[in-house]
Amino acid sequence: MNVTTSVPSHPPPLPVSFTGNRNEFFRLVARGAGLELVTVGFYRFWLVTDVRRHLWSNTLIDGDAAEYTGRAKELLIGFLIALAILVPIYLAYFLIGVEAERLKSFASFPLIAAFYVFGQFAIYRARRYRLTRTVWRGVRFWMDGSGWAYAARATLWGLFAIVTLGTALPWRQAALERYKMQHSWYGDLQGSFEGRGWEFFKRVWWLWPLTPIAIILFPLAPFLYAYYKAVEWRWWISGIRFGGVRLQSTLRSDALFDLYWKVIGWSMLLSTAFGIFIAVFAGAIHAISGPSATPNALATSIPLAIVTVIGYLALALGFSVVSRLYLSRDLWVRVLASTDVHGIEAAANVSARGDLASALGEGIADGLDVAGF
Amino acid sequence: MAIDPVIYFDGMSSRRRAAALVFADMLEIDAGDGAATRWAYADIRRADSPSGTLRVSCLTAPPLARLEIRDAAVAAELTSRCLGIDENYPSRRGVATIVGWSVAAAVSIIGVVFFGVPLAADRLAPLVPESFERRLGDVAERQVKLLFGDKVCSNPAGQQAFAKLVNALREPAGLDPSVQSAVLSTPIPNAFALPGGKVFLFDGLLAKAQNPDEIAGVLAHELGHLKHRDNMRGLIYNGGTSFLIGLLFGDITGSSALIFASRTLVTASHSREAEANADSFAINVMQRLGRSPKPMGELLFRVTGKEGGGLSILSGHPLTEDRLARMSREDQPAKGPPLLTPEEWQALKLICVTGSKV
Repeated sequence: MNVTTSVPSHPPPLPVSFTGNRNEFFRLVARGAGLELVTVGFYRFWLVTDVRRHLWSNTLIDGDAAEYTGRAKELLIGFLIALAILVPIYLAYFLIGVEAERLKSFASFPLIAAFYVFGQFAIYRARRYRLTRTVWRGVRFWMDGSGWAYAARATLWGLFAIVTLGTALPWRQAALERYKMQHSWYGDLQGSFEGRGWEFFKRVWWLWPLTPIAIILFPLAPFLYAYYKAVEWRWWISGIRFGGVRLQSTLRSDALFDLYWKVIGWSMLLSTAFGIFIAVFAGAIHAISGPSATPNALATSIPLAIVTVIGYLALALGFSVVSRLYLSRDLWVRVLASTDVHGIEAAANVSARGDLASALGEGIADGLDVAGF
Repeated sequence: MAIDPVIYFDGMSSRRRAAALVFADMLEIDAGDGAATRWAYADIRRADSPSGTLRVSCLTAPPLARLEIRDAAVAAELTSRCLGIDENYPSRRGVATIVGWSVAAAVSIIGVVFFGVPLAADRLAPLVPESFERRLGDVAERQVKLLFGDKVCSNPAGQQAFAKLVNALREPAGLDPSVQSAVLSTPIPNAFALPGGKVFLFDGLLAKAQNPDEIAGVLAHELGHLKHRDNMRGLIYNGGTSFLIGLLFGDITGSSALIFASRTLVTASHSREAEANADSFAINVMQRLGRSPKPMGELLFRVTGKEGGGLSILSGHPLTEDRLARMSREDQPAKGPPLLTPEEWQALKLICVTGSKV
């Protein structure tokens, strides 16, 4: 028999690419931040959606771009539903708190734990929303599993982490990722997570004793945090599986240092500019009102107060643009650039499955101010 | 990988098919599996895509079916035929609508903060059952005692004098005998009322006082808070405004400072009003007893000194000098008998001395 076919070739790993234009993203977030201020924050639903649409639709895997099909109106509705749920809960919290405090002062503290559980539930459901809005090659990702089961796991692992003074955190993260990924699907391709807590622990354990020093020695803290995040990203990406598709990240541990320092640098620059601006304006007011003016006149000056508020708003706007530009976009791009996909042929003919999830989780997460991935 | 000019995903599977397009009366997509898929031009909508690729969906096709065109000429040809292609994309009008409604929402929330919540607090506070208010008071009392040390001054002679003073004030104030009052041994010069009819006086204030009328005025002021149920009103008011203002700014970066600042401004103004009302109440009670309210103002002034200068709109109290001026205007020669005899006053001043040793 004549063997003419070559050895079964393994296709080389595929890098993931990002095609988005940075200036375009900057314009998007700058405009969005401005609109957010004008709309006293209500524009956040649209801005978040626009940011995700930009990032998703410029992320190419095996030559095909992903797509984010979520819309701001869904987030707004999710927020309104969350309000309807959270308001009675806050009220009940208050009434139960009064009863608990009557038995023992500050006994209502454990009730805050209930909000933690609720926050974890919200994180799971928000992830489910985002995943069901993520489409690639005309097939959506989706999630099953239960938000409450996840919240229970997260809380118990959290307690364990407290008992072990934080050393159990890598295992907590691995367990929670396993739960999330096992319930994540791309069409009929089930996800899984192969990252081990021990691998993560090996890389980060020495940060733990250094953290108290970093709190005192300021310049150390961003390095430690950026290192931690880089290790976490690499570990997380490298653990992700969908059926036979495997992800692999080669993100270097020092890959994110400059991003965090850029954010810090810009924040300092913006704050200094704000300080100078206020000082100059105060000086001008002082000069106009003459030498007889007391420092008190300055403290009660209405124009100065108004200018301070406006300056503060501009500062907040600047912060939000800077953090989105570096910590949303640039970080995303860098993580993607480090990612390889193996076995993509397993995703070549996947049947569509799964239903859309509501944005309730996003709404609750917004209401409780929790965030998660 | 060769670049296919047109790729079709049918929305049922992730299979990537090179397709040929025919621009007939409908768009015909031939993905090489027999019958062509036909999309009406009017139903075709743009979907998000990277630059250089036109990606469209169709209203009547499976929702995730996508046609991707990487050839600029073909893309232009298709776009020119699909008039509704950008209908799903937010236009300038769409953004204006968002801004308009957000501003309307903000205005109505601010309106509710300034007019609705104070009204609700006034109307709801009397409806809160007294038993619940007393529970709140118990909770607050426990916390106060935990924070300031559970040192109730219990010198018998001093307690007698204190009870006499409180009772003398309670009757013209129109409060029933359920009012609980105590002196706590702490050097902080202060006094306050808690929900459910509790008044606490700190020894530190007694130490600064020079005559019974000074303390009487302060106690009358606190009884005013009880009478007006200011604690309950404050609770409802603060809860309501915090919630509404939190609703406004959501999670803009740095919004917590914004929320804190606006809340401070709004609640301080409400609190100033309540304080001014309690002052009026104290003036009224003192005058009914034939005593002058001026000593109270003098005591406050002794404690705080001149306050002017800081941002008065941030303060929860009217400025002390303004309060003193107001009480001085209401000054009148004492017509009624002294509220305490000199011996009783001495005993009250020493209420914590032996008590704390027991």
